[in-house]
Amino acid sequence: MIYLRILQWSVVTGAICLLAGCVTATVQQVRETATAMNEEDSIVVLGRRNRPSKAEAELDFVECVSRNLSSGENPVQVISEQQFVDAMFPWFEPRTAPLSTTDLPELLQQPLLAERIREIGLKYLVWLEGSTRQIAQAGSMSCSVTPGGGGCFGFLTWEKDSSYEASVWDAHTAKTAGRVSSDAAGTSYMPALVVPIPIIARVQNSACSSLAGQLKQFVRNDT
Amino acid sequence: MNLRLAFIVVVAGLLGACTGNHNMIVEGGRFPVPLMDKAPVRLGVYLDDEIRSYVHTETRDKKSEWTVDVGGAQLDLFSNLAEGVFQDHELVDSSAAGHLDGVLKPSIKEIQFSLPKQTRTNYYEVWIRYHFQLFDKEGNPVGEWTLPAYGKANTNDHGSTTVGLQEAALAACRDAMAFFSINFVREPVVRNWLAAGKPVVPPAPPVNTPAPSPADPQAPAVTSTEGSQT
Repeated sequence: MIYLRILQWSVVTGAICLLAGCVTATVQQVRETATAMNEEDSIVVLGRRNRPSKAEAELDFVECVSRNLSSGENPVQVISEQQFVDAMFPWFEPRTAPLSTTDLPELLQQPLLAERIREIGLKYLVWLEGSTRQIAQAGSMSCSVTPGGGGCFGFLTWEKDSSYEASVWDAHTAKTAGRVSSDAAGTSYMPALVVPIPIIARVQNSACSSLAGQLKQFVRNDT
Repeated sequence: MNLRLAFIVVVAGLLGACTGNHNMIVEGGRFPVPLMDKAPVRLGVYLDDEIRSYVHTETRDKKSEWTVDVGGAQLDLFSNLAEGVFQDHELVDSSAAGHLDGVLKPSIKEIQFSLPKQTRTNYYEVWIRYHFQLFDKEGNPVGEWTLPAYGKANTNDHGSTTVGLQEAALAACRDAMAFFSINFVREPVVRNWLAAGKPVVPPAPPVNTPAPSPADPQAPAVTSTEGSQT
């Protein structure tokens, strides 16, 4: 009986894994100072865009991390990237944004900026760097259309890798609070026997949710 | 007959796609008011028809025409810029405004852009070269300077070429605003004029007269160029 139950679970897990594609994600963090957030404190997630780079986080990834931080269990108050850079204009544009925490004190010395930061309740700035790339692809597929109908035949597989790092700056102390990194990898498949069936590994989504989850714990000091 | 017509339509469509026009329009409404201490100056902003209707047109590979229309965004850009940077401002229609300290006249000298396939990167890139002329209240030139601005947009974030280039052009406009805001009072022409009490500059001397020293704060038509980093 117990073997039957194990077999059932294995079949179900295997089917889910096949339909969604399997992803493995690893999250790491380095803490440099203690962190805490009150109800009125907020956080902003920004993509580093000072120069053309292959490690520039995608806009939708930045939005995904912000969305995950502000929802689910123990949500934190998040200011959207666009709202923040507009509110702080021109100090967080690609050419003018501070590159390290050593640039922050000078910026925060400006009364108008300090007042705006107080107004929006900003406690932490999170700088995101990284990207999702396709690292391998194999297989082939051919499709044909005839007057009698059409169809595809073949098998495609590709592997994606996501690697992101978030650097957390404390806007009150102007120091680096720590870093959280998230790596995810997964393989997607597309078998086709007349109709192609895509089995997509949601690698970037997995990296996003694991990074946001860890960031949430990090800023709340739950770890 | 129908097959022949369908074939012609398909071929015409494909040729149209290859020789298509690409029109990018940068619209206003996305330029925030700079958050900074205002410069102690009351300036008129003179946007002539040329800058208000500036369209960059370029033909590439002898078959596709590209237009980048940034003129429509300039009024919103400079209105918000002036509101944040100057103590007081007004839109004027000439280079003289007796009731103000002076007049700023921006113009666009050049626009360039590049596509990801040209640079083999993931970026649409746009460069805009702005030129600024500062006039005293009587319309005499105080000085001028140029400001190169740069904007980029990642192909990962913007699916179509039109949207990608549009976003890059918008980013270049914001970059110009940001750099102008931060450096306005540091600009030698402006700094010297403000330090001298925003004087009325004597009209430019006749052509053969030797030019005065650039260190003289009242020297007319001082020229400088701001640096750009990408």
